[in-house]
Amino acid sequence: MCLGIPGRIIERHDDGGLAMGVVDFGGVRRSCCLAYVAKDVEPGDYVIVHVGFAISKVQEEEARRTYEALRELSQLDELDWMRETADLGLAEMRSPLPTRTPAEDVT
Amino acid sequence: MKYLDEYRDASIVRALAERVRQAATRRWVLMEVCGGQTHTIVKQGLDELVGDAVEMIHGPGCPVCVTPLEQIDKALHIAARPDVIFTSFGDMLRVPGSECDLQQVRARGGTVRVVYSPLDALQLAIRNPDKQVVFFAVGFETTAPANAMAVWRARELRIPNFSVLVSHVTVPPAMTALLSAPDNRVQGFLAAGHVCTVMGWSEYEPIAAQYRVPIVVTGFETVDIMEGMLMAVEQLESGRFEVENQYVRSVKREGTVPARTLVSEVFELVDRKWRGIGEIPRSGLGLRPEFADFDAELRFGLSDLSVAEPAECRAGDVLRGKLKPFECPAFGVSCTPERPLGAPMVSSEGACAAYFNYGRLRRREKEREGSMTAEVPS
Repeated sequence: MCLGIPGRIIERHDDGGLAMGVVDFGGVRRSCCLAYVAKDVEPGDYVIVHVGFAISKVQEEEARRTYEALRELSQLDELDWMRETADLGLAEMRSPLPTRTPAEDVT
Repeated sequence: MKYLDEYRDASIVRALAERVRQAATRRWVLMEVCGGQTHTIVKQGLDELVGDAVEMIHGPGCPVCVTPLEQIDKALHIAARPDVIFTSFGDMLRVPGSECDLQQVRARGGTVRVVYSPLDALQLAIRNPDKQVVFFAVGFETTAPANAMAVWRARELRIPNFSVLVSHVTVPPAMTALLSAPDNRVQGFLAAGHVCTVMGWSEYEPIAAQYRVPIVVTGFETVDIMEGMLMAVEQLESGRFEVENQYVRSVKREGTVPARTLVSEVFELVDRKWRGIGEIPRSGLGLRPEFADFDAELRFGLSDLSVAEPAECRAGDVLRGKLKPFECPAFGVSCTPERPLGAPMVSSEGACAAYFNYGRLRRREKEREGSMTAEVPS
């Protein structure tokens, strides 16, 4: 939970006064809060997302590198947590989540 | 270096490591305070790559690892209630409490759900008005903006059945506590890049000046860490004690202002116990009085619960840099990722789990065997 995951904003919308948006994390899409970066971002931009909240805007190349580094470190557990909430219908899942292989599981 | 060979920037890292070795006229002791950095350092063997130039101490940089036992016990107590849906980030489920962990509470019939975001927990509360939905609000400054917004939003939408069990900690007071200890060995810090992305680095400037330690805001990738080490060593060698920013592509001095603002509107600084370290004054975040309605400890009458830490787990010594994980008698014997005694063995960001998973125990044993059969000339 310490490391944010980079993703690409697909669309943004207002949810009762709260800036929200759908963010794509390497094929996994879900709804995230954009309130903290609302003035700086638009669809197509890359952001670093911490537990569902975009915290900073980054360049595309940086987003790609960071995602790859997280994958190498097996630090993409949060994508699994998204799957756990998918059955609740809370996340806006538009593509199936990848199944993690045991080799990727550190703990 | 077997681990490093797999990394795409291996040649850059080697060149940086060589510069660290050349810059150092003595052995310097640095500490990283970020579980992600610990993970990278141990996995890629970066501390071994710089030889005698730098000793890396893996500080209390994993929020799962520093959450005190009594907060875990409070979580277990609440989660066992039949009227509660207890929600948490996934990595808290296997952290052992005094008697069991959240996973076992779930197995015994408690409703424990992993959520990705605290807003998921709030959504659960909206959809289950007949249940109390409690979110375990843990983490450093990186998760505080999310948890602050969930509480803010709960008040705005008037959600009566939502509350948070807060166990937030902040990095700078822990650094100060470590530096103030009479037996402190830390001479410089790598500050956590993503924490500083939120908070900026102005808080670190008085610490660097007062304790005369360089603090380098550093990313978590292999090249970042090696560059951060080099910047810290160069400062130490030239007698400078400044806050420098290695992670310029992500961190600005002022941080992410809207996030900092909401955090300070919802939370205030409180004294907080750190697992294995003890209480550090004004080192945690607690809900401000105007948000007391959303405080799970008050709602469920748990404010006075106090629990002693188990003696066998030496997590505190590991987090303070007094003990390497493999030097703990329990390491790999009575404490493994499958059956952890303490939190640093649970989370993949914890120092003990990182050492265990990347075979440091086996490597040390081999070294020990080698030194018994042949004296290595120094």
